[in-house]
Amino acid sequence: MANVKVAIRVRPLNARESVAGGRLAVQVEDKLVRIRNTKLDGRHDGPGESREKVLEFGFDYCYWSVAPEEPHYASQEEVFQDLGVTVLAGASEGYNVCLFAYGQTGTGKTYTMMGTLDSMGLTPRICQGLFKSDDTFPEGHNSSRVEISFLEIYNERVRDLLRGREQKKKPSLRVREHPEKGPYVQDLSQHVVSDYKQAVDLLEEGIANRITAATHIHDTSSRSHAIFTIQYTQAILEDNLPSEIVSKINLVDLAGSERADPHYCRDRLTEGSNINKSLVTLGIVISALAQNSQMSSSCQSINSVASHTSCLSGGGGGGGRRHCFIPYRDSVLTWLLKDSLGGNAKTIMIATVSPSSSSYNETLSTLRYAAHARNIVNKPRVNEDASVRLIRELREEIDRLKRTLLSFQMQLNPSPSLSDQRDGSLSDIVLQNELKVDELTKDWSESWRDKKELLEQYSVDINRDWGGFLIHSLLPHLITLDRDVLSTGVTFYHLRVYTIHNLGY
Amino acid sequence: MASTYSHEWRAVCDKFNNAQDLSEVESRKDPENDPFRSKYKARELLREIYCSLKNFDVDSPAGSRAAKLGAVEYYLGVNHVETEELSAGEEHLMNCMTLLEKCSISPENVSLFIQVRNQLGILWAGRDEIEKAQGFLETAEAMYIRYMKEDGQPPMDLTEFFVAEEEALPQQERTKRFEMAYTHTLYYLAQVYKNLEQYEKAGGYCHSTLQRQLEFNQFLPLEWAINAATLSQYYITKTLYMEGRHCLSAASVIADLAGEVPSEAAAQESEAEAEKRDQLRQKRAEIARCWIKYCLNLLQDAKKLLEDNIGELDMDRQAELRATRLKEEEEKERGRKSAVLFGSSDTFDSICGLEEKVSCVFPVDFEEARAIFLVGQTYVNQAKEYFEMDGHVTDHIEILQDHSALFKALAFFEEDLERRCKMHKRRVDMMEPICKDLNAQYYLLVCRQLQFELAETYYEMMDLKLAVANKQDDLDAHTVKKFNHLCSSSTKFYQMFLDSVRSPEGKWPEKLEDEVLRPALVAKFRVARLHSRLISSSKTIQLENLNRSLECYNFVVQYCKDNPEAKSAIETELELSEEMVSLLPLKINRLQANLASSN
Repeated sequence: MANVKVAIRVRPLNARESVAGGRLAVQVEDKLVRIRNTKLDGRHDGPGESREKVLEFGFDYCYWSVAPEEPHYASQEEVFQDLGVTVLAGASEGYNVCLFAYGQTGTGKTYTMMGTLDSMGLTPRICQGLFKSDDTFPEGHNSSRVEISFLEIYNERVRDLLRGREQKKKPSLRVREHPEKGPYVQDLSQHVVSDYKQAVDLLEEGIANRITAATHIHDTSSRSHAIFTIQYTQAILEDNLPSEIVSKINLVDLAGSERADPHYCRDRLTEGSNINKSLVTLGIVISALAQNSQMSSSCQSINSVASHTSCLSGGGGGGGRRHCFIPYRDSVLTWLLKDSLGGNAKTIMIATVSPSSSSYNETLSTLRYAAHARNIVNKPRVNEDASVRLIRELREEIDRLKRTLLSFQMQLNPSPSLSDQRDGSLSDIVLQNELKVDELTKDWSESWRDKKELLEQYSVDINRDWGGFLIHSLLPHLITLDRDVLSTGVTFYHLRVYTIHNLGY
Repeated sequence: MASTYSHEWRAVCDKFNNAQDLSEVESRKDPENDPFRSKYKARELLREIYCSLKNFDVDSPAGSRAAKLGAVEYYLGVNHVETEELSAGEEHLMNCMTLLEKCSISPENVSLFIQVRNQLGILWAGRDEIEKAQGFLETAEAMYIRYMKEDGQPPMDLTEFFVAEEEALPQQERTKRFEMAYTHTLYYLAQVYKNLEQYEKAGGYCHSTLQRQLEFNQFLPLEWAINAATLSQYYITKTLYMEGRHCLSAASVIADLAGEVPSEAAAQESEAEAEKRDQLRQKRAEIARCWIKYCLNLLQDAKKLLEDNIGELDMDRQAELRATRLKEEEEKERGRKSAVLFGSSDTFDSICGLEEKVSCVFPVDFEEARAIFLVGQTYVNQAKEYFEMDGHVTDHIEILQDHSALFKALAFFEEDLERRCKMHKRRVDMMEPICKDLNAQYYLLVCRQLQFELAETYYEMMDLKLAVANKQDDLDAHTVKKFNHLCSSSTKFYQMFLDSVRSPEGKWPEKLEDEVLRPALVAKFRVARLHSRLISSSKTIQLENLNRSLECYNFVVQYCKDNPEAKSAIETELELSEEMVSLLPLKINRLQANLASSN
């Protein structure tokens, strides 16, 4: 069960695109998205992009929302049935859930997350679902508490979208971490709501606040991230003791993907070959350099899945992990969603794209980003020590045990480690015999080929059995154990054939 | 230049100033829906200038006219690039190159020679043709070096092509602008090499860029300091400790230039002071964290060089390292002289002073290791002052983990087992309370790391206790109790880690996620071992422990049977587990038989 799910949604052509011919570059088939470069007119600024090519990406969900009349058209309800229901299920199980919408400005992120009056998006539907599931519980038995907050991050500054005008003094709220409550925004207003109506009122209030601001600062909505947070507390009785399950749902409407990368500073440079012109960005280059060099030095580390045995040999001094500290400027968004990006939260990303061939480049980069989304989510590992000593000790013990085993087989004195119990009780002899049988079975199977002929010749069959082996003889026979205690030989006497066959050693 | 005073020339100069102003100042105010309005206006002016120049008399000194035309082409090229018309931009820049072919490098035009190549470098890098960019930039670099060697007088700035003589820039300003252009060349080269994956070269060019910012006094102290500190981390991963230390010392000294931290009282008075206080404290704490990593890696690398195959100090290796160190010291001294050193006249001494406070060579014995440890610990305390638990949970814990790792590395050098054990106890004391307080719903990974480390630390202490007892040949009841306690504590934390893998309902996943696969199986494996190490005089309890142990080994074997792809992740442990699964029953049966017969 993966903790990160990625969905893609394709919006309808807009008026401008339709007028321009409305050629489609994107195709959806089941869980695959195909994108075709139809820019064949040679009018290209970048090099070598003129050849037509089709690229394919796989996702957990793909939604084709281009034209309502088409059979596989994905409506808001359908999207909710997959993603929204997953969010609600995760929250009721006690997980923190985070749902991101990612994509270029104008590809329908806000439509998907918020929707319109007559076509509600994920956020209001999730609120609805939250209170609906509440009603299904018998009256009085369960109680839950829903708290809502709504904030906006613009230019690395955090603004409360639900705080009345009177407290506008505070310029930017601070993001902090609490050992018990996790990352939080200091002084962010929390609003307890008891029904769907109240929740949606707050949602609308927040959206309205965002728009008011937008008239002052141009084009805010495409440059700011909005996070609608629902804290869902369920009071339950566990073994007749009251207890609480707290989960947090973060619904994030990211800024246009050109600015939305939560790891903005880090990935920017590793991807593009563009040169930063200003010395102000020297820090980014150096960070990338240090980051890169740390990664290559830790690829041999014990905490990576790959090679570890080589590290167990110790010494050497070569490779080995070297952890360093890179003081890069972490974005507020990354900070705030730390637990969603690296903890035990369930994370869903819905990437929105335009189907138009005129948006080819943007769409491709969104698809690429989304396809890598699983790696974007932090997968830091547990550091673990090589513990050479433990392995050495265990090897010694194994050798000791093996020696013991061998000594049984040779009928010599028990090994020194067991010498304090030298009395040869009856059960010991049984044990020894069992061991011998085990050993026999093993060796036998190795020389099976040689023996096979012999067995067939005498119509005898040998099978493994629980704790030993079983011999079937198709002919009537008698069995005798060798008189010599040291011998493990078993002799079969076939009744109608007057010869004796010795099996074993 | 006779034409300089003519009326027409005046007009050209005015136009140029106008174009500059439009391009640099006015353009910032352009509306979103017409973002290049001023740039386009500037372009028109530049075109007019170009035409006027073409028609000018040709009595100016050879090459001067070509250089002037080249300069206009340069500005036109930049203008087109800035308005996202790359092909046109390229054309103009290449025209400039062609015009320059007629000139020989002189103080008048060397700036243009370099800057046009800078621009072409950026342009081609943007088109993903890094090698082409590299070519232009490397030529620019070579030209600078040659010019400085052969001439060296402060060259004219590009803008001076179009100003009246009396407005010529002072020498100092000329130097500043010229050197800045070259600093940019180096910075672009750093990026080009980084993109070409020539990281060492890239690092060197970043270093030079920083050095020149300092030399020509073009830096913001905090920003510069953070960059230098970050660069130190690059050097550390390359085990270049001398360079790393130099960067860190410079970072600390330069960060101090940013001024005093405003008092708490002042911060409460004004928002600006509060912001400044926070910035200064944060950046200095970050530099301290870079220092911690320096000390930690130096100790850990030395440990790697000195340990034998079971992780103990190897005397032969110690002697060997001592010898090679002596030899290397001279070479290092020589290398230092050729290295690019930071510092202006007033900071150089403080940087050197700071460097002397901590060694940059591998410690070979406890005394040397302790000196490095103590420096690291000082920085730990410094960093914790800003990164407090309240508000900075993950950062605070990361620093604690480093502190713990410093103790662990130091313990390696400690010969006295009792004292070594005490160092591990310090680690437990700093991590255990935090591990208890942390909410795993938000800090799952941190919790897991702490659990794992605590389990390992208790394991280590258990081994040490046993080793001490063995030495004294004295396994009294008290020691046994202590040993068992450590053993159970280790088990407890491995178990907590394993429980963290379960779902909220307490179910074990059928398939372990990649990032916990190895740790989880290793934890099981170690718990298996721990169960069999508990000391008890009761045979029934012994039997119980062995059965638990077998169960855990079995789990590892069975998991790998069900998920064969897991095998490669824990080869050694699996092999040992398989052996134990086949051998442990012998011991168990033996004990059982014994128990039966004694009943």
